[in-house]
Amino acid sequence: MLILKTVSVEPKHGWAIGKRIQQISSDVLQVQQGSLYPALHRLEQQGWIKGRMAATETGRQAKFYSLTRAGRAQLEQELANWARLSSAVNAVAQMA
Amino acid sequence: MRWLHKLRLRLRSLVSRAQVERELDVELRFLLDSQIEENLAAGMNSEEARHAALRSIGGLAHLAEQCRDMRRVNFLADLAQDLRYAGRMLARSPGFTAVAVVSLALGIGANTAIYSFLESVLIRSLPVHDPASLVTLNWHTKGRVRSGRPTVIKHGNVNYYFAKAGFTGPTLPFPAFELFRTGSPVFSSVFAYSDAGSLNLVVHGEASLTRAQFVSGEFFRGLGVTPAAGRPIDAADDRAGATPVAVASYRLWQNRFGGTPNIAGESILVDNLAFAVVGVAPAGFYGPGSFNAGMEPDLYLPLHTSTLLDASYPAVPWNDKFSDKNNYWVEIMGRLRPGVGIGQAQAVLGPMFQRFAADTASNDKEKADLPALLLQPSAKGFESLRLTYAQPIYVLMAMVGLILAIACANLANLLLARATTRRREIAVRLSLGAGRLRILRQLLTESVLLASMGGALGIVVAVWGIRSLTLLLANGRDGFTLHAGLNWHVLAVTILLSILTGLLFGLAPAIQATRVDVTPALKESRLGKSHARVSLSQFLVVAQMAISLLLVAGAGLFVRTVSNLQRMDVGINREQVLLLTVNAKQGGFKDDSLVRFYAGLQTRLAGVPGVRNVSLSNVAPLLGGFLAFRVAVPGAPADQPGLWPIAGLLVGHSYFQTMQLPLLRGRGIDEEDTLGARGVGVVNEEFVKTYFSGGNPIGRHFQLISSFSGVEPADIEIAGVSRNSRELGSIRRAILPTVYIPYSRGQQYLTSMVYEVRTAGDPRSFVPTIRQLVRQAGARIPVTGVKTLANQGDQAINQERILAMLSAAVAILAMAIASVGIYGTVAYGVARRTNEIGVRMALGAQRQHVVWMVLREVFALSIAGIAIGLPVAFGASHLVQSLLFAVKPNDPVALTLAVAILFGSAALAAFAPARRASRIDPMAALRHE
Repeated sequence: MLILKTVSVEPKHGWAIGKRIQQISSDVLQVQQGSLYPALHRLEQQGWIKGRMAATETGRQAKFYSLTRAGRAQLEQELANWARLSSAVNAVAQMA
Repeated sequence: MRWLHKLRLRLRSLVSRAQVERELDVELRFLLDSQIEENLAAGMNSEEARHAALRSIGGLAHLAEQCRDMRRVNFLADLAQDLRYAGRMLARSPGFTAVAVVSLALGIGANTAIYSFLESVLIRSLPVHDPASLVTLNWHTKGRVRSGRPTVIKHGNVNYYFAKAGFTGPTLPFPAFELFRTGSPVFSSVFAYSDAGSLNLVVHGEASLTRAQFVSGEFFRGLGVTPAAGRPIDAADDRAGATPVAVASYRLWQNRFGGTPNIAGESILVDNLAFAVVGVAPAGFYGPGSFNAGMEPDLYLPLHTSTLLDASYPAVPWNDKFSDKNNYWVEIMGRLRPGVGIGQAQAVLGPMFQRFAADTASNDKEKADLPALLLQPSAKGFESLRLTYAQPIYVLMAMVGLILAIACANLANLLLARATTRRREIAVRLSLGAGRLRILRQLLTESVLLASMGGALGIVVAVWGIRSLTLLLANGRDGFTLHAGLNWHVLAVTILLSILTGLLFGLAPAIQATRVDVTPALKESRLGKSHARVSLSQFLVVAQMAISLLLVAGAGLFVRTVSNLQRMDVGINREQVLLLTVNAKQGGFKDDSLVRFYAGLQTRLAGVPGVRNVSLSNVAPLLGGFLAFRVAVPGAPADQPGLWPIAGLLVGHSYFQTMQLPLLRGRGIDEEDTLGARGVGVVNEEFVKTYFSGGNPIGRHFQLISSFSGVEPADIEIAGVSRNSRELGSIRRAILPTVYIPYSRGQQYLTSMVYEVRTAGDPRSFVPTIRQLVRQAGARIPVTGVKTLANQGDQAINQERILAMLSAAVAILAMAIASVGIYGTVAYGVARRTNEIGVRMALGAQRQHVVWMVLREVFALSIAGIAIGLPVAFGASHLVQSLLFAVKPNDPVALTLAVAILFGSAALAAFAPARRASRIDPMAALRHE
């Protein structure tokens, strides 16, 4: 879900995705590159993100991932699920 | 739609693999570089940065593999990779591949060919509408139907066979047919048919013998076939007094009428009677009836025309056969109404027929054993080919099944051998991190690929085998047109079997190989440890040997049978005699003119330069037919009424000279006998022994009583005594007392005559001249059965010959496969033990010793195989005893020969690798791993 959200804004390559998640979550979520890349490939295989070779700002070749339409639908569904789950957990946790 | 996209991606991963890999490479390299940059920025030097990056990523190759795993096309991609790898490995050892594939192909092909042929010949359902609802009506009695026994079945075509308890035959009286036709709620249609034999058909002036069948009006409609042209025979045609019409077979239409669309109205002559063709049966059609496969009728005639055609046979009172309730001549078939079972129909019709039969009994004895009605599904017809060839074909099926067993054992052995030699390779792969499952899958793919290749080649072998079998069975018979098609079920089963064998035997060694503890395998070089794992392979070799012994012994028995039959003294000289059958009766001659024609033809044939003798007889020699008689000899005990123990032959003059059948006393039939009115005859030794107790019978008289009703007994004076010969009756039968009478005295029996022409030189070279001569004598007279007497002799034992040939072929095949298997196994064994052999030789072992070492094992296996196979051969040979002739089942010659052949070929097969073992250079061997 996090990956989908990250690329939903703009296409990014794997390295950037990892860094961004780390950054936004204020280093709470440390992304292991070793698990990120297989996950990216799996998502691509599922058809929720699309990969494309392109040049970075520094001119290097990298694979940029962007969200597909199906991916956007999946993202929305997952976000909705997460919202429901987290509010339920919160409700129980705050139940004194 | 997402799955479409997913599919596309997966296909892309599969198809443009190279590009996908490149992308992955670039992506991960970028990852590495980015991490290194970060590390550098954090203050490490380039070395540390790189190491730290690699550490944190955890190994690029590993990561790449994980990404690939995610793509989840592994199965297909792996399969493709496995196949390619398997292909390479198989190509690397072409000998092994060739052996395995060829032996499998032979096993699969032979099995499929035999079973397909079997299906076409033995089990055919009629090519008509819904054959499952058709039933044949038969009679069934407890006691044997034989002339002399009291029974209501007075005459007719009484072919019968042994049923569960009693006897059954397919023919019923015509009035019974009418009974079933009119009042039967169980059948939606009932029709009758009868074999018309071979009739002289003249189309556009050309005569030929054509197989025909009489059918009732309902025949075509009841079978549910629509004609390819014109109309079928219907009820209006099948009446006494109706215009004679005929329906041609598709084959006849194409061959004799050129497939003309104006077939309706074509006029033809059938046995000199005018018929009009009204229609053509559909292509590939044949109806029920007792004819051999491949010899289906070409002409269908209305049942009632049989009286017209029979009119030319006065001795046999058929004219009332449509009203005679005791004449069982017509075959009846009915189609059950939907929903009616055969049991129900039996329950309804059985009592009807019983009342009918009871009415026809003239005394109580006949009433005691009335024939009962028996309905049988149409599939169980009376196809004589099935009955004749059933047992040999089952024997062949068993033999060929064993070949498949040998071939599979070969495959298994070869796979086992290979697995052992590849232990090292597997150990390396395991240590490199390959999963056990993955390796297993790859090994299995190899086995399956091998088995599939064998199967594919097997199809080719099967097709060729079927063609050869058909040729063998036809064996020069006129008009044999059986087309055996490939039986796809059997093919599928055998291929499945071979794949299963591949899986099974690829599996066992594969599992063993991958269970191996890696380190010893890697280190393995010096230690040629072998023996525990070899036991399965040894067992297979022993099994192969045992089976081969069985097959070779069986073939030996059959071959000796044929050799005995061929060498048997038949009494006549079979060489250089040409036979031809001429039927002047069907060409319009009768009575005196018939006799004169035959006599005249004999004279003309004798005049052909190069012809030494000519004679004629009413049955071809060695064919097995004769007229049956009873005799009354004054002074000898009378024959029992109802028995016809005498064989009779109508012959022309010079018969004994032509056949070179020696005369022991008196003279043969000469020309005066054939022209005059004297009743003379020549008898054989057996006759003299039976009726004259071996005394001199010359000049004595006896009464010859015919089995044909309406023929007066004839007074015969014995003019000569001939030696016993077997030219009549089946070769295996005991010799019968025989009497030869001039054919001019047997006008009532005369139809076709067979001319025997003894020539100087090859008889076949005289054929055109002779045909020309006959045509000059009478254009409308068909000439058939042109062959040499030697060929006729072969045809008489056709079944035994085919069995011998095929079983020999099977045995040779089995030996070849087994030998090749032995060769492969031994070769692998030597290769595996190269090291050990090198050590031995370095320690001083002689070359011969090494050869002996290798051969010893093979001999031990052979002896084990023989020990198992011999008792089985003993037992099995008793099963086929009925197929043998003058050969005991435990024939020591055949068995000894089989053992010797087995031993010999095993030794031969093992010799080459054994010699190679002895040639091993010890130094090279010691270094060999």
